[in-house]
Amino acid sequence: MEKIITLNDVTKEFKVLNRKEGLRGSIKDLFSRDYNIVRAVCNISMEVSRGEIVGYLGPNGAGKSTTIKMMTGVLEPTSGEILVNGMVPYIKRTQNAQNIGVVFGQRSQLWWALPVIESFNILKDIYQVSDRNYSDMMELYTSLVDIEDILHKPVRQLSLGQRTLSDILAAFLHNPSTVFLDEPTIGLDVSMKGKIRKLVKALNKEKNTTVILTTHDMGDVDALCRRIVIIDKGSLLYDNDIENLKGFFGSYRTVKVRLGREAEELTKENLKRLANELQQKLLDTHPEVNSLTAISNESWIDVLVHEDEIDIMKVVNSIQEHYKIYDLKLEEISTESVIRKIYEGEMQ
Amino acid sequence: MNLRKYITLTRAGMMESLHFRTSAFVTILGNMIYLVIIYYLWKAIYASTGTGIVNGMTFEATMIYLVLATALFYFMEMYLVWNMGRDIQSGGIVLKLIRPMSFKKYMFFSCSGSFVMSFFMTFVPTALIVYFVTNGAIYLGSNLLFFIISVIFGLLINFYVDFFVGTICLYTESVWGINIMKEVVVLLLSGASIPLAFFPESLRNVVMVLPFQAIYNTPLNLLIRHNLNNFDRITMIGIQLFWVVILSIITSLFWKKAVRQITVNGG
Repeated sequence: MEKIITLNDVTKEFKVLNRKEGLRGSIKDLFSRDYNIVRAVCNISMEVSRGEIVGYLGPNGAGKSTTIKMMTGVLEPTSGEILVNGMVPYIKRTQNAQNIGVVFGQRSQLWWALPVIESFNILKDIYQVSDRNYSDMMELYTSLVDIEDILHKPVRQLSLGQRTLSDILAAFLHNPSTVFLDEPTIGLDVSMKGKIRKLVKALNKEKNTTVILTTHDMGDVDALCRRIVIIDKGSLLYDNDIENLKGFFGSYRTVKVRLGREAEELTKENLKRLANELQQKLLDTHPEVNSLTAISNESWIDVLVHEDEIDIMKVVNSIQEHYKIYDLKLEEISTESVIRKIYEGEMQ
Repeated sequence: MNLRKYITLTRAGMMESLHFRTSAFVTILGNMIYLVIIYYLWKAIYASTGTGIVNGMTFEATMIYLVLATALFYFMEMYLVWNMGRDIQSGGIVLKLIRPMSFKKYMFFSCSGSFVMSFFMTFVPTALIVYFVTNGAIYLGSNLLFFIISVIFGLLINFYVDFFVGTICLYTESVWGINIMKEVVVLLLSGASIPLAFFPESLRNVVMVLPFQAIYNTPLNLLIRHNLNNFDRITMIGIQLFWVVILSIITSLFWKKAVRQITVNGG
């Protein structure tokens, strides 16, 4: 497989100035040498092939965005080597930019005051897309999503979902070999998330575009990625298929329960409290268990059980001692729970 | 160099400034109020001296100079330091760094649309009014050609000065104080708020070897001074060109060094 992105032992350190206050302080800071060194990314190596969708995951502040900014050429790594399309991004930043597309979920790259279609026209000129490729792309877009009524609205009048959608279309417009999506579904409703996942999947398939996706929404990961890379505190924790990861946690199962008929009407807060209460009671009755958790999930409570520690029926019995079980399901561990386990440091 | 790639940004800027019509009108209004104030200020200055001519300039010549300087100032103001500072603070600068062109060119052409608009919306009308009110204090001839070239160079010098100061924001991450300082220095030393003829000899000698006077003073003199021969004019434009080249190199080197220590705030 053709390698599109190679990271080799990449480290990024930031020198953070100990700041002084005021204008005078600011001017003094110009000459200050009083630095702290923060290591945001630490000896990361990975390779990405053409056409892959890689979920790049990690808790807040893990170094995901920093890595992406290095791959886009905005930041220069402190040490190590990055190649994107065979180029070192921060040296050939403008050439690299021609071959990548970027979406930052929290920022729009569109022209705020102008209609979306104008932004597309500007991007067409900036990236020197030929008329033919442009109209092919627009045709593809119209076949995938309903954009007619968005195109002629000024960007500032769009809803967050419409804006994100337009931003994603803008990132793919010049048919880049790689697109970086940094939390594209942040703050969106369920149906919009669905639309965006469908769109990204279709564009990836149609154009064989490599996609690097960072997200905190495991729904995105389940819908789009086969491979995930997890980092925390700047270091690589995991790089492989999701299925493989679930296998690692094969002895975990989720007991999904609904307690009492009124479960549907319980407010989110009450359900959360109920889940906490349940977890506490279960941990109290089975002191030998360490890793059991109960969390609310829509109208259900998910109890994650490690079967090496305790038999699953014992847990169900204990729940029944305290509450009336209205509905019950058994499931394999979800991606969400797997990721949570990893963030919480149970991989090693 | 494919021009279209850049001109499209000019076009976008023009469309954007047309969207903010109200702001354009408010700017023109503020401009008028400012002109009324300087009219009375300078009237008082001339009245207190008792002579019709101060430092070799008549009241009328001073007013023409200041009115045109103000118009030129509003035309060239691009809030670049402010915009760069805001982008650096918010981290939004990352979206401009991922474009397939140098950041400096991207910024220049993004600003250029509003230059074109305000040249026609503020400078040209003001110059026409001055022309008709003063009965031809601005004479129409080859000086217009020199003026146009000189304005473009002045614009570039102003852009480079702003870009340089904006780059400092990469280090300080504070914009406000630095921007105010720049505004004061440029307005005073460029001859935009007081004609250079009024400066004491020693200060004027210093000012003449700095780039700032080439922003406003040079184009204005080319437009309104009658006693310049072509040699003078070409020399003045040559000095501007010198500054354009020097500042272009300096800003590129400084930016190249500064951008390496960028951190990009906000996730």
